[in-house]
Amino acid sequence: MTSLWTDCLRQLQADLSETDFNTWIRPLQVVEDSETLRLLAPNRFVVDWVTDRCLGRIREVVARDSSDAARAVVLQVGTRRPEPAAPAAVTTVSIQLQRPSPPPGIRLNPNYVFERFVEGKSNQLARAASAQVAGNPGGAYNPLFIYGGTGLGKTHLMQSIGHVIQANRPEARVAYVHSEQFVQDMVSALRHNTIGEFKKAYRSLDALLIDDIQFFAGKDHSQEEFFHTFNALLEGQRQVVLTCDRYPKEVDGLEERLKSRFGWGLTVAVEPPEMETSAAILITKAAAEGVELPEEVAFFVAQRIRSNVRELEGALRRVMANSSFTGRPITLDFAREALRDLLALQERLVTIENIQKTVAEYFKIRVADLLSQRRSRSVARPRQVAMALAKELTRHSLPEIGDAFGGRDHTTVLHACRRVAELRETDTRVREDYQNLLRTLTN
Amino acid sequence: MQQLPLNVRLAEHAVFESFHAGPNEAAIACLREAAAGAGPRFTWLWGPGSSGRSHLLQAAVTAAHALGRPSIFLPMAQRASLDPAMLDGLETASLVAVDDIDAIAGDGAWEPAMLLLYERIVASAGRLVMSSILPPARSGFRLPDLASRLSTAAVYQLVQGGDEQLLRALQKRAAWLGLELPDVTGRFLLTRVERDMAALCRELERLDREALAAQRRLTVPFVSEVLGSAD
Repeated sequence: MTSLWTDCLRQLQADLSETDFNTWIRPLQVVEDSETLRLLAPNRFVVDWVTDRCLGRIREVVARDSSDAARAVVLQVGTRRPEPAAPAAVTTVSIQLQRPSPPPGIRLNPNYVFERFVEGKSNQLARAASAQVAGNPGGAYNPLFIYGGTGLGKTHLMQSIGHVIQANRPEARVAYVHSEQFVQDMVSALRHNTIGEFKKAYRSLDALLIDDIQFFAGKDHSQEEFFHTFNALLEGQRQVVLTCDRYPKEVDGLEERLKSRFGWGLTVAVEPPEMETSAAILITKAAAEGVELPEEVAFFVAQRIRSNVRELEGALRRVMANSSFTGRPITLDFAREALRDLLALQERLVTIENIQKTVAEYFKIRVADLLSQRRSRSVARPRQVAMALAKELTRHSLPEIGDAFGGRDHTTVLHACRRVAELRETDTRVREDYQNLLRTLTN
Repeated sequence: MQQLPLNVRLAEHAVFESFHAGPNEAAIACLREAAAGAGPRFTWLWGPGSSGRSHLLQAAVTAAHALGRPSIFLPMAQRASLDPAMLDGLETASLVAVDDIDAIAGDGAWEPAMLLLYERIVASAGRLVMSSILPPARSGFRLPDLASRLSTAAVYQLVQGGDEQLLRALQKRAAWLGLELPDVTGRFLLTRVERDMAALCRELERLDREALAAQRRLTVPFVSEVLGSAD
C-alpha cells in the first residue's frame, strides 16, 4: 500500500464510523503513478457513496501530501488483475475496467466434473443421461432437463457436461447461466438499449446450461425472450441443459409452450441420496481436499444430517477446518465434538410430537388417528412411517416410541420399522413419501 | 484541574485482538483463515445479538485489508440505505463479510442478488463470511436455492459463556482501550449493568472518558460514582 493512500486511509478512519469505513473504504483498490491516484471500486454504488462523502477529503490529503504538482484522484468501477497473493508492487498491475455488457454466465466451477460426482441409486439415471449429452451435444437428448430438490447435484451434473463439451471442442462457446442472471442481463440490456447484443450473445452459443429455471415463473417478458433463445439454439442443434427444482409441468407461472418444449428431449430426476451415497460423497469431497475421512465418521455425519448434500458438505468443512486448526486427527469423537451445536440443534427440533404432527399433515389425517387403535390402511401406513421416522431421527427407545403412539408395544414399533424398510425398497410411493418427510423434518 | 479528553478515538475497535475468544476459538480460527484467503470458502456465524458477530466480521475485514486483500463489510441490518446493486462486482474482493444476512430473508430483490453473488464467488477465488441469528436453513430465506447454497458454509454457533467469560471479554476490551479493569470492579459492573456485551462496552467507553477526565483508576467507588451519576 502506498504511503499517500495510507495517509488518506488514516484521515478517513478518523472521519468515518468504523462500520462505514469497513463498508465503503476497505473495498477500494488503489493504483498509483506519478500523476494519478486511481481508486477502483467494485461497483457504481460504492463509487457514488465515496464520491459524495469522501472524495473531497481524499483530494485534500493528496494535495497536501504531494510534494510535486498535485496528483489527480480518479475514482471508477474496476479491479486490479491479477489479485496479488501478497502485498505486491502495484505499478506493474494492469487494470480491468468493468465492461458494459459482459458475456453471459460465469466460469464453470473446476470441481464440478464427472470424476468428482458420486453416483448412487438416487442419481444414476441423471448421471448416465448427462454423460451421454456431454459426449454427443445437440444430439438426441436435447434439451436435457434435470430436476430434483435443492442441493442434490443438478448444478454439478450440468457443469460437468459443460466441461466435457469444452474439453472436446476448446473453441466451443459454452455458457453456464443462472436463470435469475438471464433475467437481470435482459433487464439490463433493455435499459441500456443493447438488447440486440444480448440476443446475439445468447443465440450464438454452442451450449447453454441454464440453472434453476423455476426462477422464470411469473416473469413473462423473460420467458418470451428465453423461448426464442431456446428455439434458436435447438434449431441450430446446439445443446441446451436445464435444471429445475420440480418436474416441468409442475412449475406454476411458466408458459405452457415452454413447459411443453422442455419435455421434447429427455427429462431425468435426481433423488435425495441414500445414506451410503451420502457417506461416499463425504469421503470423496474430503479426498479432494487431501483429507482421508474414516468411514465411520462419514456414516456418522451422513446419518445425522439428512436435509441435503450441501448441508452435509457444510458439516464436513467444519470438521476438516477444526481438525486443521487444532492439529487433531478426525475421529468419531472429534467429529461429534466439532458438530456438537449443529447436532444439538437437529435433535432439539426433531421430537416424536413433531414427527406425528408432520406425518399427519403430510397424509392429511389427524394426529389423534395416529394414536388411535384404528387399523385401516389409510391410518396404519402413516402410523408405521411415523414410527420408523421416530426411530431414525430421535434417540427414544422402542418402548418409549410405542408409548408415544397410544401405548403400543415395542414389538409393534419394531414390526413397523421393518415393514417400512421393506416397502422403501419395493414401493416407489412409500420411498418418496419417506424421503420427503425425512427432508421436511431435518431441514 | 480536570483533564479534557481529546475527541480522538482509537483507530479500530473491532479487531481480533480485542475479542475474547472463550469457547469460540474454532470460529475465530476459521475467520482468520478466511481473511488470509485460506480455509473454507464460506463461513456462517450464528448467535444472538451481542454475541460478537459484527465485531468478528469486521475484524476479518480489517485483517484481510492488513494483508493487502480487498475486502468489504456489508451490514444488512442497514439494507434500507443500501441497494441490491451494492452486491455487483463484489466477487472481485478477496473477502466479503455479510453481517445480519437474515435481514434480507424474504426480500424479493435482495435474495436473488445474494444468490447470484454466491454463484459468482464460487466461480472466483474469494471468500464469503456471513452472520445471522440462526443457521442457514432456519434463517427464513424465501428462495430454497439460496438457503440450500448457503448451507455449504462451515457453520459456527457463537456461544456466550457465563459471567466469568463475560468478565474476561470485558477485561480484554478494557485492555485494548488501555484501561486496567480489576476483577473486583468488573464483577461489580456485571451486577449493575445489563449483562450484555454491547451494553457493557458502551459503559466501558463512558468509564474510559470519565476516568481520563478525573485521572482516576477503575476502582469500585469510582465506577459506582459514575454509574450513580448517570441515574
